[in-house]
Amino acid sequence: MKLAPLDITSNIDNTITKYTNVKSTKILRTLQLFIKMSVKIRAAYTNSISTSRIIFTCLAAVIVRYYLMLSKYQTVIANHVEVSTPLNSWKRVSEGLYLISKNINPYEGDVLHETPLSLYLYKNILLVFQDRIHLAFITFDVATAIILFFTTKKFNWDLFVEEENNKETFAKDAVECFLKPEKLFKSSYYVLLTYLFNPFTLFSCVGYSTTVFYNFYLAVMMFCMVHGISVICGIFLALAASVSFYPVVLILPVTMYFKYAIKSNFKIIINLFSFITTSVLIMLMCTDFGKDFSYIRNVYGCILTVPDLQPNIGLFWYFFTEMFEHFRELFIYAFQINNTILYLVPISLRFRKHPFLLTVAINFIITIFKSYPSVGDVGFVLSVVPSFPHLFPFSQQGFLVGTMLIISTSLAPILYYLWIYCNSANANFYFGVTLSFAVAQIFLLTDLLFSQVKRDYMLKYGKNRKIDGEEGILCLE
Amino acid sequence: MIYSLTFLIILANYGSVFCYEGSIDEELLIKPLQSNQVYAHFQFSTKWDIDPEKETFRHSSLFPRPIGELIQRFDIQELHVTLTGGLWRYEKWGYPVVDAATGAEVLAWFKPGSDVDTNWKLLANSLSGLFCASLNFIDDLNTIKPEFSFRPRGVVDSKFINSSHVRYANLPHEIVCTENLTPWKKLLPCDSKTGLASLLNSGHIHNTRYHSVGLHLRPVCRDKSCESLSLELQQTVSLVYDYLILGTKNWSLRKLFGQGVNRKCVLVNKSDIYVDTTLTDVELEPAPDKTVTSIRGGQTTVLQKYEVTNTFLNIYAKYQNADVVPLNLPPPLHANQYLSGYGQERGGIVTKIYNNHWKELDVVLLQNIPWFIPIYLHTLKVVSNGKELKPLQLRYIPARQRIRPNYLEVLLRLPARTSTSVVIDFDYVFLKWQEYPPDANFGFHIGSAVISCYLPVAKNYTAVPWDMTLISDSFNASRNGYLVEIRTENLIITLPTPDFSMPYNVICLACTVVALAFGPLHNITTRKLILKSNKKVQLVEKIKKLLNSLSKTKEE
Repeated sequence: MKLAPLDITSNIDNTITKYTNVKSTKILRTLQLFIKMSVKIRAAYTNSISTSRIIFTCLAAVIVRYYLMLSKYQTVIANHVEVSTPLNSWKRVSEGLYLISKNINPYEGDVLHETPLSLYLYKNILLVFQDRIHLAFITFDVATAIILFFTTKKFNWDLFVEEENNKETFAKDAVECFLKPEKLFKSSYYVLLTYLFNPFTLFSCVGYSTTVFYNFYLAVMMFCMVHGISVICGIFLALAASVSFYPVVLILPVTMYFKYAIKSNFKIIINLFSFITTSVLIMLMCTDFGKDFSYIRNVYGCILTVPDLQPNIGLFWYFFTEMFEHFRELFIYAFQINNTILYLVPISLRFRKHPFLLTVAINFIITIFKSYPSVGDVGFVLSVVPSFPHLFPFSQQGFLVGTMLIISTSLAPILYYLWIYCNSANANFYFGVTLSFAVAQIFLLTDLLFSQVKRDYMLKYGKNRKIDGEEGILCLE
Repeated sequence: MIYSLTFLIILANYGSVFCYEGSIDEELLIKPLQSNQVYAHFQFSTKWDIDPEKETFRHSSLFPRPIGELIQRFDIQELHVTLTGGLWRYEKWGYPVVDAATGAEVLAWFKPGSDVDTNWKLLANSLSGLFCASLNFIDDLNTIKPEFSFRPRGVVDSKFINSSHVRYANLPHEIVCTENLTPWKKLLPCDSKTGLASLLNSGHIHNTRYHSVGLHLRPVCRDKSCESLSLELQQTVSLVYDYLILGTKNWSLRKLFGQGVNRKCVLVNKSDIYVDTTLTDVELEPAPDKTVTSIRGGQTTVLQKYEVTNTFLNIYAKYQNADVVPLNLPPPLHANQYLSGYGQERGGIVTKIYNNHWKELDVVLLQNIPWFIPIYLHTLKVVSNGKELKPLQLRYIPARQRIRPNYLEVLLRLPARTSTSVVIDFDYVFLKWQEYPPDANFGFHIGSAVISCYLPVAKNYTAVPWDMTLISDSFNASRNGYLVEIRTENLIITLPTPDFSMPYNVICLACTVVALAFGPLHNITTRKLILKSNKKVQLVEKIKKLLNSLSKTKEE
């Protein structure tokens, strides 16, 4: 069944070359490509996942989430520091909404770190969903998954089309690393599965962390990016940036995407314009039209200067607990530069031909090095990884990363419990686990990027690795 | 001659202006408590008939000059300072004459129009020097401005009663000792040589179950018409002796304080000792000068009065029947405070208020919770006998890290004969390693809650009415309400600690992880992937190559 369309393609190829028998003209080549493509589309459709299967998957995810949310484990999960950080815990949102209802400015205290806009949103969500707030979280989480599914589907299709277009420029013996449509078009389903069923996003949703909404903004942003809807892309980027500040740097990869993938300078301008306009509007709304700037200190001040040292899966908390007071400022600058602009330009230049990977990579760097990361953020970036099946053959550290992630994820709550509740461990144990978790993510990211570099090399020079008749090795120099 | 005469007359007139108008009275109330303790309360009241608004406080005779300087320099309207060790057990002991929280407590009202915040800090520092106490630790981190709990005790223009003029702070970890008592005694006109003050011997004061040293300053009416003001300074010492520590139930002044009263302080107006014999069948020796029966707010008290004269006085009390233990009747209102939860992540502060009265009571609960205990107001739950109560009023100013504490004031109407628990949840905070004290695992103190209430009955009540000064004024002084300000227990909370021994290691390890990302990313972005010969060069060949290149350069 699967071979049939490919056979047809080769037949058509033969017929076209037979009938023209002259130097193939430009028109003919386009025609050839078109016919090829149409067949490939059929191949893609026959191989892609049926709608009923997607609906079934989503339903299963809803049931799992609903069951966990109504069980006694909901509070246990919500109370875990890996799930709820000071920035995204629902308890703090409830406190903020309660303080507003009592006519107390919630930004006077240290408890709330959400923007007024988010609070307004949560207030309305509460009004819509009433006591069934868990349904709101499930809705947004599943919506994020579906949006990611369509995002990666489009991305994979674009990737495929681009490769088909450039096939002539590739090395002759690189055939085996060409994209395999039947694998490629299944990957978006794996993205859906990973998002819906990996424990990180699952717990994040069950624990009512507001990262669910943040992930939703990011997903919509990426969806609009790959579909070239520049206006909405800018709006949602501004929303994500207003919540957590760090996504501001994503403006560069998004611009790269419009430049190199969509090839439209107009869209770049539109996107930038909508991003800036929305940011200004959000700012105006949050400050009550320039009257009350107190939220800036609580939201961005907290993100940037890390005053709350509650443990989380990131690197900041213990580092700044143990920091000498006179070096604190220096290291805050160093760490914040490290996760925002240090890698931004070099990576953007190096991977400008792969803007989607670039977006994911920069989002990944933010997730690893942000001041208050939660498992929801990690789950989001991890679930996009399956959309790069063509890079997996080149990756070398999959096993290592997988083992580290599994071990550190399962050890983290245990060691935290030993430290905080049993007093039989200390902070170093948990710190060690967060270190290995960060290292695992870093290895995954660098492995992914290095795989892309290796694949590019392979496509350009082929798989021949002989140098002076002897086996050579690939290395960066 | 005439000139010199007039001069003399003028001088005499001036003399009458400078002449000190005021009085000092000292009183001691000894009250056997319902459980196995005896309560001794000293009160030294100095009244100075001057206008606190106009006085420059340059000259004073009976009134302690350092206090006068404080009033003048920091624009003080009213000042209450207490230094307390031990805990007053309301449930067993009833109400004390002066309520005080364990540790140090300062409450001050400032005159309208003064720079309150600056004056408050300067005042705390001056008091710290005056009493040799760590009151200099009073700053924005533990100061609040209660709105309902405290009212000025003295005469004040009601339009100036505003919480912006009041400052309240308590230092629950302050340990009160001899060094605080000595400077306190120096403020008395006769020091501790004669009069009741001679009973205050450090050695016998600090082995009590509870001891509290206080200083209360307020403007009062000079007479009934209240046309002019006087300044009143009350210095109090409250002591609770335990029969178990004393070794016997039969107490005497000598047993309690180490010596009897030698003679009266000549500057003192009135010097009286009252022994409460309401509950106990006790034989006093020598016989009292007078027996006073006081009926106040539905409670009858029998007191034996002794006047201190210039002869030696040692009162000896002998119990007729030592085995009789009086029935313990809890007071109408008392409270406890404790922590709930386990582990070092989430907890709750529970304040349990007991209303034993047959009618409902309106109370104000004041909590001053340090910044390192972030509380969640939406978790505030007031439950009275299983039913949820709604606070009548609520004031809340959330804490700011390293800037100000949580201030919470709740106005409640407690149903009759109930115990009400006020629960609020908090998170344990992780501090920077240099913010922990040297004994980090000892824990951090949370100050006591203050519960204020106007009681309709004076059961177990000993305080002096607001409009009066002396203990003897409280006899037969029935009023519409009797103010109590109950202080609960202090709490200790052990915050989770980092490992103090490894700041260098943590910095190195975290930076290593950052470097692990930097290295590969730097390589990927700045270098090119190239094919390289896999041939391994032998070490000998390498050296040969090096030598060759060296010799080549020499030849050149």
